[in-house]
Amino acid sequence: METKAPAQGLNEAIVREETDLDYHALNAMLNLYDAEGRIQFERDRQAARQYFLQHVNKNTVFFHDLDEKLDYLVANDYYEREVLEQYSREFIHALSKRAYGRKFRFQTFLGAFKFYTSYALKTFDGKRYLERFEDRVCMVAMFLARGDEDLATKLVDEIISGRFQPATPTFLNAGKKQRGELVSCFLLRIEDNMESIGRSINSALQLSKRGGGVAFALTNIREAGAPIKKIENQSSGVIPIMKLLEDSFSYANQLGARQGAGAVYLHAHHPDIYRFLDTKRENADEKIRIKTLSLGVVIPDITFELAKRNEDMYLFSPYDVEQVYGIPFSDVNVSEKYYEMVDDARIRKSKINAREFFQTLAEIQFESGYPYIMFEDTVNRANPVDGKIIMSNLCSEILQVSEPSEYDEDLGYASVGKDISCNLGSLNIALTMDGGDLAGTVETAIRGLTAVSEASAIDSVPSIRRGNDMSHAIGLGQMNLHGYLARERIHYGSEEGLDFTNIYFYTVLFHCLRASNLLAQERGQAFAGFEKSKYASGEFFDKYTETVWAPKTDRVAQLFADAGIQIPGQQDWRELKAKVMAHGIYNQNLQAVPPTGSISYINNSTSSIHPVASKIEIRKEGKIGRVYYPAPFMTNENLEYYQDAYEIGYEKIIDTYAEATQHVDQGLSLTLFFRDTATTRDINKAQIYAWKKGIKTIYYVRLRQLALQGTEVEGCVSCML
Amino acid sequence: MAEKVKLISHVDAINWNRIEDPVDDEVWDRLTANFWLPEKVPLSNDVPSWNTLTPEEKQLTMRVFTGLTLLDTVQGTVGAVSLIPDSLTPHEEAVYTNIAFMESVHAKSYSSIFSTLSSTKEIDDAFRWSTENQNLQRKADIVLSYYRGDSPLKRKVASTLLESFLFYSGFYLPMYWSSHAKLTNTADLIRLIIRDEAVHGYYIGYKYQKGLERVDEATREELKAYTFDLLFELYENEVQYTHDLYDSVGLSEDVKKFLHYNANKALMNLGYEPMFPKDVTDVNPAILSALSPNADENHDFFSGSGSSYVIGKAVNTEDDDWDF
Repeated sequence: METKAPAQGLNEAIVREETDLDYHALNAMLNLYDAEGRIQFERDRQAARQYFLQHVNKNTVFFHDLDEKLDYLVANDYYEREVLEQYSREFIHALSKRAYGRKFRFQTFLGAFKFYTSYALKTFDGKRYLERFEDRVCMVAMFLARGDEDLATKLVDEIISGRFQPATPTFLNAGKKQRGELVSCFLLRIEDNMESIGRSINSALQLSKRGGGVAFALTNIREAGAPIKKIENQSSGVIPIMKLLEDSFSYANQLGARQGAGAVYLHAHHPDIYRFLDTKRENADEKIRIKTLSLGVVIPDITFELAKRNEDMYLFSPYDVEQVYGIPFSDVNVSEKYYEMVDDARIRKSKINAREFFQTLAEIQFESGYPYIMFEDTVNRANPVDGKIIMSNLCSEILQVSEPSEYDEDLGYASVGKDISCNLGSLNIALTMDGGDLAGTVETAIRGLTAVSEASAIDSVPSIRRGNDMSHAIGLGQMNLHGYLARERIHYGSEEGLDFTNIYFYTVLFHCLRASNLLAQERGQAFAGFEKSKYASGEFFDKYTETVWAPKTDRVAQLFADAGIQIPGQQDWRELKAKVMAHGIYNQNLQAVPPTGSISYINNSTSSIHPVASKIEIRKEGKIGRVYYPAPFMTNENLEYYQDAYEIGYEKIIDTYAEATQHVDQGLSLTLFFRDTATTRDINKAQIYAWKKGIKTIYYVRLRQLALQGTEVEGCVSCML
Repeated sequence: MAEKVKLISHVDAINWNRIEDPVDDEVWDRLTANFWLPEKVPLSNDVPSWNTLTPEEKQLTMRVFTGLTLLDTVQGTVGAVSLIPDSLTPHEEAVYTNIAFMESVHAKSYSSIFSTLSSTKEIDDAFRWSTENQNLQRKADIVLSYYRGDSPLKRKVASTLLESFLFYSGFYLPMYWSSHAKLTNTADLIRLIIRDEAVHGYYIGYKYQKGLERVDEATREELKAYTFDLLFELYENEVQYTHDLYDSVGLSEDVKKFLHYNANKALMNLGYEPMFPKDVTDVNPAILSALSPNADENHDFFSGSGSSYVIGKAVNTEDDDWDF
């Protein structure tokens, strides 16, 4: 409990002032310098304290002891009885004691505020709290461990220490009786027929209702003006489908918890590509404007080559491509078949200038931050699994193979394809390094994430259920890279920063595979299709068994040595390779680095592996309003290591991501940051640089416009020039 | 009233390649980059939040926005237009046309908020209130009378006070709501308006200071006295208006501090020293922080578009850029 009284001897004036102000005002003072021009970190700590004193403690339901509490929560349909019944009461008592014994404290106001506003179990009227942070952690651990006391204990240790943080859907829902799904992301294909489109709308509704973001691939939909049943100019193209999806997402929300959110991906060589992008124009007509749906574009290598030669790029009718090749447009390798398709008279086509296309992308990104970009050929070259990756998701970090479904006229399935789901969780890099047992932390995290996959059965969308049953795909992410580097007084994107990123991700990969291989041995089962993967052939391991991966700088070698974390060598990889080739791995996919919004606040991390967007970040969400968040480990003395993303520039960010990308099987959400003095050409240059460096996806483009001199709010931290 | 506004008698083709005052160019670029329309903000996401407000709070919100609608209408149809004939450079004229247009966008934005959140009857009631509230009408009348007057510099003073001072009793409320996690998308839209008004007030104030350089010392003294008199007249009225609005929810004291803060800001834009001492301008930090016109907030995709994006400058890539 954060209820300690203000320390004695503290300046009385300050104490009086603290209690004078409400916690929102105290928190907002973080964004205003004090008279000496220093950031008022203590104000945020006061805000957190006052939040407990003025609000949380008064609004928490009181129980005499744990048994009374658990019995009440089960009897009144707050907790799932089945979760608790897997354990003895003695064990639950010991676990709870262990969690409370760690003396967890929220480091920031936003962390506490976010937890109680969005995660803690509340009475059905929404007015009073039934859980503290420790209770939530225990319930999540017991849910994931499914009766395994040892695993439950390890999960409590990893989560309460902050080393491992499950993603929002899992952390929010696990163990609650009235809840949404535990899975973060869903990705579905849409094929070029009305049944598939109809099914997609239904899937959007069903999956939004249960939480998580949903992405759809529109690449296979025939373009506007294409013939239907040989009658010309009949099809309406992708825009009306986007409208339907957008409305579906806003209709369904998770018991009011959060509005559905969705993304749609389209291939760059789809004839509707400009119409698709124009939906985000500032002056778009209301009929075609897309407000809340996120957009992504799939770009193959050939588009870059055409732009390099300043040539036109041809756009191909998906319907005709499917007729000619017998497979959906999305599954055709466009870079390889490009000239074949250009020369094929059966495929109707149009053309635009390739450089103009890239410039248009950049213009729209300026105005709206969208679209996301997936570099199709880079992604597929790096994919160890059999099949083609045709899309990404709402945060552009999920990259998995899919198969189309076929439908009967009554919308039943003629054959159930394979669609994608992924549940996520992230490690706090700083605390994981401090913990010293990277192998153990990763293994516990992988076991926790796998449990979510095994506990999930999304029957409302059979293709999702089938995909999950076949692949048990999970995504272990990372966060707080910048916080860690800054604490260690290493500049983000410096030689040492890049070296650390490389070796850290390299080591994490080793332990992910090791843990998944253990799971395969325990369960006697590998993911479906393992035998056709580059893991089974051993090819995947070549780059680790044939080359030495070791720190290039003394500083990084020292960091690992000090932490007591061993860096795997070639012999370790050879042994792991043999075990994987013999027993397989249980999870088709293992890593994905999400943007980590909410959970990084609770966990006191910098988001993902990005630099901070601002020393004091302004966070706005529907449920919490506008709140201010200080970068972790930041003091008035080490500010120089907290250069923000706009100051750092895109090269260092891309370099950092490139180091990590080479060891991650799925994607990493990479946001590009520009000042408003940038032009579309700067954005294009960054895209080219990212593609050249082997980056798989680009998430948002963000712009910062500073107030015109003379119009800024005086003494405001986030307004710093 | 428009019959008193004179038009320019002679026009030369405007040459943007001969900039006489670089501030014209800078402000033009900023204003055009900041172009937006209310349709971009997903206001309908605020409907659940709107439904949690009490009837008094809803009425207050509606009234505040009708008040702002009136001021933006004044500024769009009369204010900014009346400044055009007084311009020192042709580029200044062009900037005013942009300002006038954006003020009309602002006025329309409030209607978008109304139609999304409220019913026709409530909207009509609120507009009726705005025509019947004496302090609001008086505020508009005071400003209009100066726009109709014959002194170019006095017009600029009135205009700057409108842009930098009079709007803010209204802006307080959406900032207050958003700091309490209510109507956050509406607040985004208002922040876009604030972003514009901050530039408008700064620019018109700057042009006023330029104009002062061309008059004699006595006139300067007179204008300064006039400015403070007008501000004081408006301030007294504004205090009454604030009580009319905010007494029902107990926020009047805090709003008044906000008035003081912005009155000082308006004076600063005009090049004068502040009128209110620091101890009556200590605005609630939550409001002050929310005001920042910078586009640097972080938001999740469940919560709307934020007030961040701008229209970019398109520049072709060169062959060298594609060197791979």
